[in-house]
Amino acid sequence: MADAGLTGPVLSPAARQVLATWLDQVGAALGGPARLRARIVAELDDGVRSAAEQHLATGVDPLDAARAAVAEFGDPDTVAASFHGELTAHLARRSGTALVGSGPLVGIVWLAALVPPLWPPRPAELLGAHPLYLAVLAVAVPAALVAITLTGPLGHRLAHHPAHAARAATLAATACVVGDALLLTTFAHTAVATPTALSWPAAPLAVAVSATRLVLAFRAARRCSGGSPIRVAAPR
Amino acid sequence: MRAEALKGHLDGLLLAALERGPLHGYGVIEALRAGSGGTFDLPTGTVYPALHRLERAGLIRSAWSDGPGRRRRSYQLTPAGVTALADQRDGWRVFSRSVSALLDAGPWPTPA
Repeated sequence: MADAGLTGPVLSPAARQVLATWLDQVGAALGGPARLRARIVAELDDGVRSAAEQHLATGVDPLDAARAAVAEFGDPDTVAASFHGELTAHLARRSGTALVGSGPLVGIVWLAALVPPLWPPRPAELLGAHPLYLAVLAVAVPAALVAITLTGPLGHRLAHHPAHAARAATLAATACVVGDALLLTTFAHTAVATPTALSWPAAPLAVAVSATRLVLAFRAARRCSGGSPIRVAAPR
Repeated sequence: MRAEALKGHLDGLLLAALERGPLHGYGVIEALRAGSGGTFDLPTGTVYPALHRLERAGLIRSAWSDGPGRRRRSYQLTPAGVTALADQRDGWRVFSRSVSALLDAGPWPTPA
């Protein structure tokens, strides 16, 4: 959708370079997912250009207008650091949602990997035979739901800091890593001891799904715990 | 006025700025500056993340529009945001009446 308000007075190439340099510095100092960083930078691009256009309208020359705009918007590292809370909340919510969404898929493929007499699948019986995995679910599911809840409207009403949601997401992701490792270990043991207890090709599919989720959950746990930090550069 | 002096009232101010119609982030900063006679000149690092937080809370929603070489993200109130703004106004009226009653009452204890 075209917005007529987006066609302001033209800034000089030198003025545009001042704005572009400032935006590059903010972008470099931001952490988090690439797509989210790009959206933040795009939003700030429009904002700082609007500020420059406002200054230009007062009669200053374009270069001074651009310098005034970036001064008004502030130090790039400070601006980037101010987004830390929202980036944390975004990561926590995305991780929690992905973990909750992937749970049924992982469950279904592993149930499909089992041949009769456990077909039709009886999840309660299966979980009872693997109490460790039941313990993992008892931790992962509530923690993921807490991460989602704290980053939504209820979290806002309770004035929860995004760090709480990040801790819940870290716990959920870590539990999923343990859970998938348990499933893969169980598969390896069964494949050696009683290979006829497995259904092919469902079993390799289940292994691929769990292995993939293990890697993604590990990365999510690192990011949410700050191990793969949302980078905020030291003040220049 | 420094941003930390607005603690607890920032959400209400941002929602009020959007009451008349959609605004982009810098537009919200300008609206607060103009509407307060220059008293509230809030930094980028306060306003933009707060707008994202309010969107995550469901009180405002954003939409992108395109122009030559740039994209604009504009925010507007949701029905929940309209309700939240009304609640903020009610809360402010009670708070400001109470503070004014105490601050305007003169030194305490009142002299005999």
